[in-house]
Amino acid sequence: MTASEVQPGGRLLRGVHRTLTGLHPALESVLAAVVGLLVGAALMYIWGYDPWKAYWALLRGAYGGSYEIASSIARGVPLVLTALTFSICLRGGMFNIGAEGQVYVGAAAAVCVAYFKLPPGLHLLVGIAFAAVAGAVWSLGPALLKLTRGVHEVISTIMFNWIARFLVFYLVAYVLVDARQGQRTVQIPLSARFPVLVRGTDLSYSVFLAVAFALFVYFLLWHTATGYEVRAAGLTPTAARYGGISIRRTIALSFVLGGIGAGLAGAATTMGLPPTYAIISGLPQLMNLGFDGMAVAMVGRNHPLGILVAALFFGGLNAGGRVMQFYGSNPVPLEMVRVVMGAIVLAMAIPELVRVFPAMAASGRALVRMLSRRKPAEEAA
Amino acid sequence: MRKWLGLALVVALVAAPAMAQALKGKVAVVLDVGGRGDLSFNDMGFKGTDQAAHDFGLEMVEVQSATAADYLPNLRNLARTGQYDLIICVGFLLGDALAQAAAEFPQQKFAIIDAVVDAPNVMSIVFRENEMSALVGALGAMAAAHYGYPNVGVVLGIEIPVLYHFEAGYRFGIDWGNKKAAETLGTGPVGLLYTYTGSFSDIALGKAATEAMLAQGAVGVYNVAGPLGIGDLEAITEFHRNQGTRSGPPYYFGVDANQDWLGNGQHGLASGMKRVDVGCYSAVEAVVKGTFTGGITSLGLAEGGVGISKFVDLLEFIDFGISAGALKPEDREATIANWAVNRGTVPAWIWRAVDELEAGILAGTIVVPTADTVDEMQAVRARYTLGAP
Repeated sequence: MTASEVQPGGRLLRGVHRTLTGLHPALESVLAAVVGLLVGAALMYIWGYDPWKAYWALLRGAYGGSYEIASSIARGVPLVLTALTFSICLRGGMFNIGAEGQVYVGAAAAVCVAYFKLPPGLHLLVGIAFAAVAGAVWSLGPALLKLTRGVHEVISTIMFNWIARFLVFYLVAYVLVDARQGQRTVQIPLSARFPVLVRGTDLSYSVFLAVAFALFVYFLLWHTATGYEVRAAGLTPTAARYGGISIRRTIALSFVLGGIGAGLAGAATTMGLPPTYAIISGLPQLMNLGFDGMAVAMVGRNHPLGILVAALFFGGLNAGGRVMQFYGSNPVPLEMVRVVMGAIVLAMAIPELVRVFPAMAASGRALVRMLSRRKPAEEAA
Repeated sequence: MRKWLGLALVVALVAAPAMAQALKGKVAVVLDVGGRGDLSFNDMGFKGTDQAAHDFGLEMVEVQSATAADYLPNLRNLARTGQYDLIICVGFLLGDALAQAAAEFPQQKFAIIDAVVDAPNVMSIVFRENEMSALVGALGAMAAAHYGYPNVGVVLGIEIPVLYHFEAGYRFGIDWGNKKAAETLGTGPVGLLYTYTGSFSDIALGKAATEAMLAQGAVGVYNVAGPLGIGDLEAITEFHRNQGTRSGPPYYFGVDANQDWLGNGQHGLASGMKRVDVGCYSAVEAVVKGTFTGGITSLGLAEGGVGISKFVDLLEFIDFGISAGALKPEDREATIANWAVNRGTVPAWIWRAVDELEAGILAGTIVVPTADTVDEMQAVRARYTLGAP
């Protein structure tokens, strides 16, 4: 195996350190959010809705009071964890989109605690550990494929997402199924649930798990030698190798750590989300958590602290979006709410996209140059 | 950023005219992740509530759920406003969330379709699906006897109690039809092919299950898995194309809505209709008339809550399909003509026998068995084995 086969791509990280507009990364994210909201407003106006009323409903539904804020935070909890999965690997120079499948597997593992009895606190910890281990084990597949065969992680994680999806479909329908309630798995017992933090909302103690994991990742990446190695390998793999860093080790580490994050997201959604505390057939409460996490990571600039803020924003969009549906005399239907959210995500992604396709930017610049050069010629004629 | 955005919005609100509070009553419909556009269960829930809101002069809002994690917050958000006279949950998947929301908001009136939530402020609307499934089963069994097919089929979704109602009634109906056919034609009994696909969303599973049944000589396939019916119909349409026929057996039996018009009415012989719209309408009506009470409201043939599709329903649902953009207006006449031709392939004595069964159930002289648990279902299966050893 040659070195080039396992080389992570340093180019991925350029965006984290240099921004398109030259603004501070956080400001650029804010700018993208504003652009997205304006595009959303324009769309709503075109389709005959009142954007101001709709956004007022969104804002009130997201941050208008303690109930609303708690709901927004609750919605953001799993997104923090899946965003970290993406960001850890990106910092290590890889484009890991396997969080989706790892969430499913983690959730299925968490449900397994329903089959034995333990004292309350311990039962919860065992469930968290199950989910973390399951997520990590599932991430080993793409990691080993990359390390031993040089398989690109984008391909392998997509494949593993599908395998996880159908595996968990099967487990939910035939293995973990509740005999009396065929539409879902057995319920996680009271002793293994995250207690609800704010009464009358979805917010449970799982929020502390998410914040703790984010702080742990921050500490590990920026305040330990191992984290330094991961980041160095991500930035310039060749230099890192020359400096004696084992790239194989950093790749494995970032995959496994990411898998733990996604697995914990599975635990948070099954053990910490009222009222079902089980996986419903078709996984309707787990779908897209991994992919939404990538958007959160992008907006949070792949920094754990940025991700916490971005998750609060996305949680608010989702929680407020529910309220937009019935607020005022001409409420905005869910389809429109999702179009608005899509516009915001797209606006956030534009700087990222331009970086991913530098050729686009280059051809744009060439076009401008060409036009500006032609102008004097035309004037001369 | 949010501070500025918030400030901007506050300014905008102050500038905007004060929002007038609606004085008339309000009802809300909460849908599960399936959402609108299924031309069946969810669309009928919307249609019934919309009609009731229109008739009684109420305001109606519709709340969809992007993920299952939205069910409880949606119910709480609506109940917290205290503005809604009734909140209707369409679909049994909302049952867990409603059980909690109903306990948190005891003053709020709720209704739920297809699930039983034991709370004094919840009207649980359930249907006696066994009754119309018996009619479909009898029709299928007699058609099979007439054409010499050995089996009838049914494709089901996830193994839940609601679906046991369908299976139990279907089994009874096939048995009834077998007896009738033996009297009339002197033929032997036809068997039942049934598959629980474990899915209400994977259309390919419906197609595969139907293909297997058609290969074993099923005269028709009853769809008891919502959207999987699209796959069922696709398999039946392909089967007809391969054997070069345009109507006749094998047939498609629709569910919930009148689905006879699907595929331009060529193969849909009849539908086991479950009028979710009637259920929603009656819930709103009960609130308006002050007769709302918690507990179970069971709708069957007698209440017009279920039934086998008739010509008038076909016209109503063709218009429903046209308004949803699923059927072209210019295909309306052709669809009706195709349907009539297809219905004509089943002799009149069979239709009379189906009417006889319907009258018997309405009069109470014929009682269709049902099942709510695995044990009860096993008992019904043991009683009506229908070709199984």
